[in-house]
Amino acid sequence: MNNMLVKIAVPVIGLGVTLVLAFVAFFVISAWWGMPPAVLGFGDGPEQPIAFPHTVHVNQAGIDCQFCHRSVSTEAEASIPAVEQCLFCHTFGAIDGSMSEREGAQAEIAKFIEGEDPINWVRVHRVPDHVHFVHAPHIQRGVSCNTCHGDVAGMEVVEQVRNLKMRDCVDCHRANNAPTDCAVCHY
Amino acid sequence: MGLSRRQFLKWAGVTGVGAVVFNGCRIPDHEIQVQSPVQLAEDLVSGRDNYYATAAQSGSGSEGLLVRVMEGRAKKVEGNPDYPLNTGAHSVRSEALLQALYHPDRLQGPMARIAPGGPFRQIGWPEAMEQLAEILQEADPASVLMATGAVRGRLADVINAFSQSYGGRVMGFEPLEQGVLRGVMSNLFGQTVLPTFDLANTNFLLGFGADFLGTWLAPVHFSRGYGEFRQGANRQRGRFVQVDTRYSMTAAAADRWMWVRPGTEGLMAMAMIHTIVSEGLGDPDVANALTGGQGAGALSAYSPSAVAAETGVDADDIVQLARTFANPANQPALAIGGGSAAAHTNGTFNLTAIYSLNLLVGSVNQPGGIIFNPATVHSQIQPAPVREWKAALEDMRAGNVSVLMVRDANLAYGLPGSLRAQEALEQVGTIISFSSFLDETTAMADLILPGHTPLEEWGSDTPEPGPGYETVAFQQPVVRNYRDSLAFGDTLIQVGRQLGLEGDLPWENMREAVRAAARTLHETGRGSVTMATFEEFWRRTLERGGWWDMNSRVNGQPSAPAQLPTSAPQANLAGNPEQYPFYLVPFESQALGSGEYAHLPWAQSVADPITTVAWTTWVEINPRTAERLGVEEHDVVQIESPNGRWFRAPVYVSPAVAPDVIAAPFGQGHQYYTSYAANRGANLLDIIEPNEDQETGALAWAGTRVRLVATRRRQVLPKREGIEPAYQLPHEYEHVILVHRDS
Repeated sequence: MNNMLVKIAVPVIGLGVTLVLAFVAFFVISAWWGMPPAVLGFGDGPEQPIAFPHTVHVNQAGIDCQFCHRSVSTEAEASIPAVEQCLFCHTFGAIDGSMSEREGAQAEIAKFIEGEDPINWVRVHRVPDHVHFVHAPHIQRGVSCNTCHGDVAGMEVVEQVRNLKMRDCVDCHRANNAPTDCAVCHY
Repeated sequence: MGLSRRQFLKWAGVTGVGAVVFNGCRIPDHEIQVQSPVQLAEDLVSGRDNYYATAAQSGSGSEGLLVRVMEGRAKKVEGNPDYPLNTGAHSVRSEALLQALYHPDRLQGPMARIAPGGPFRQIGWPEAMEQLAEILQEADPASVLMATGAVRGRLADVINAFSQSYGGRVMGFEPLEQGVLRGVMSNLFGQTVLPTFDLANTNFLLGFGADFLGTWLAPVHFSRGYGEFRQGANRQRGRFVQVDTRYSMTAAAADRWMWVRPGTEGLMAMAMIHTIVSEGLGDPDVANALTGGQGAGALSAYSPSAVAAETGVDADDIVQLARTFANPANQPALAIGGGSAAAHTNGTFNLTAIYSLNLLVGSVNQPGGIIFNPATVHSQIQPAPVREWKAALEDMRAGNVSVLMVRDANLAYGLPGSLRAQEALEQVGTIISFSSFLDETTAMADLILPGHTPLEEWGSDTPEPGPGYETVAFQQPVVRNYRDSLAFGDTLIQVGRQLGLEGDLPWENMREAVRAAARTLHETGRGSVTMATFEEFWRRTLERGGWWDMNSRVNGQPSAPAQLPTSAPQANLAGNPEQYPFYLVPFESQALGSGEYAHLPWAQSVADPITTVAWTTWVEINPRTAERLGVEEHDVVQIESPNGRWFRAPVYVSPAVAPDVIAAPFGQGHQYYTSYAANRGANLLDIIEPNEDQETGALAWAGTRVRLVATRRRQVLPKREGIEPAYQLPHEYEHVILVHRDS
């Protein structure tokens, strides 16, 4: 009896351990190579301190990306607006939506203002330290935001849609006749 | 289990390395955080700005402007350094144009009455144009009156073309128009266009009543010249005497302010002419012409000693002033007059005498003197004198005006109250307004087709007075229209097409009309912009803000003047001196004009340069008057005019006001015209008597006597003066920095 159990259990456990190890290996390699597989919540965007719906702001209010991410066409970073800026629009802007939604949003913004508490958003798109990605030349060249960031307008929670690995960058640079010297990004 | 020393060190090493290695794998918090700061950084400027050259009429002045536009929003108005009239400076009225653009109370779009006398409802432009066309089609063109402000440039061409083609009548309206000055320039110098004054090259300047540094004609232009006159390089500082009934900003800037009794400015100038002629100081030919060949004898009524009592100026002072003015060492000397000096029943006489002084010293169309302007390339709609407006109101009362089209002509506010313009307007069949704001007249309208504000529309301006040569300013929109409005010119062109008048209004829109005019300028092949192709010319002209030709000057001298009258017509002031002991000296507000800028909060908040009061109407009185009435600053007095009308305002006590004068600014007392203007201060136009200048029929707005009644009320004057303490360093501080000056 015990022998039987051992005879069955050992291969099953062994197989299980192998499968788990294989999955971990696959996960690590695919994440290394490109995007990790969208399982166990890995593909989802991170939870943010304010459930900021881009859908409402872009689709319903019709706000252009650059209205909030102002420095994107002139600087390296696409800046994130100050909380005051949120409040200006929510106080004076012509915003549709139900009263409870509007009041809810205003109350949430007010908390940060009153507490003089910056909003610590969780970064969704990130390239390694040895890569200098500068937004401005891309935007000035006419690359639209959704080329890299996907249809943010349709996302309740922002998630990464492109792997943003070096191969991805280089492919796009080649396709658009952009420079591919190492020092373009690694400087 | 025992742990040897060696084993312990091994484990400790492994754990330590592991901790370091695995911690290194983790992305630090600050790298996965993106922070929204709470407050906007004030110096964060993102995006790029553009500057567009455009132009605006500021009262009667014309200003070339550069507007800073960022991300589709007009942010700041600056003066255009290229434009010959303001050369980089600009007035507060132009500065505040941004607020006209973004005004919260601006009309949102076309409106019509639900029923006659009922409330307004918003309508769309197609419906509005249809209604307008229908009204104009059904009306008898002879009974259609169009009232506009003073309009110059291409818009004037369009308005005139429309009214001639349609058959209606156009009348310009401005409460404080320059009809008297215009008449005198025509009579004395044969000029149909207002001349300019070459202050920059004058040596001795004599002003009569004209607040040319604050409000009169083109203050920004004159201030430029004045700066040169006083502090220009390579010249001696010019001397300046101002003869005025009120201590205005211009009077304050003068070396000497001489008070003169209201309405006797001409008499004083005549006494000066008497001195100059009798002492043989001026041009003998001119002296001969002015006296009809009789010499000083023809002017015996004006001897300084004879007029001293009436004018309130010492005879010796007049003689001294005349000698200084005519002294060859002080040439070129220039005398200018206007403002309150012209606003009397004898206004034409006053200005004729004042400007004749220039003839005697040869300062006409000469450097440092009066400089004639060439005729403008566009037509103009000049404000009609109050005499004509009285007749127009009679027409309305008689039911002869079926349709009144109004644009920037606030008849219900700007005509003297005793003319009861509102009652007359009620007799008009249909009132159509094209104003951007709900002013008093627009509030009576049946149909409103709101026009653009100046920063949104195409146009051009032929300044009057110009800089002495042909000048055309180009006005282009710097942003898209912010509200559902349409430029007045475009409305006329479109409705003209619906009425079948396109033969006389052949342009697609205002832009095309302006381009058509620019094309003729291009074809002249002269001036500041000459280009091979028209498109290049158009681009360059818009870039510079205008076109001017410094060689197109008027040469020559006027023909010999007619003889001056041998006796002076008295200023006929309303009210007898026993009952109404004070002269009311109203004055134009530097920021609000005669009320047309009262809707702009920036204009409202500009402190008056003399009293520092803003946002309300005040009454300037002499300390002795205050003592007699038992009032002090902030106490409210009631000012009563002979026609039974009155207003109340707080008192500002100043020794610079003559004892029998009270002075108060125009501009406030609106019933409508946005929440910034409504129910604020008092409208002086409401109480003044509608007397006219005998010659031109212009409103004698400075010709009303009033009485003062103390009330028990008190209203704190909103003013800067005396509010802030002086933060002077105490005497023990001795680190005085001396600025070294070469002189």
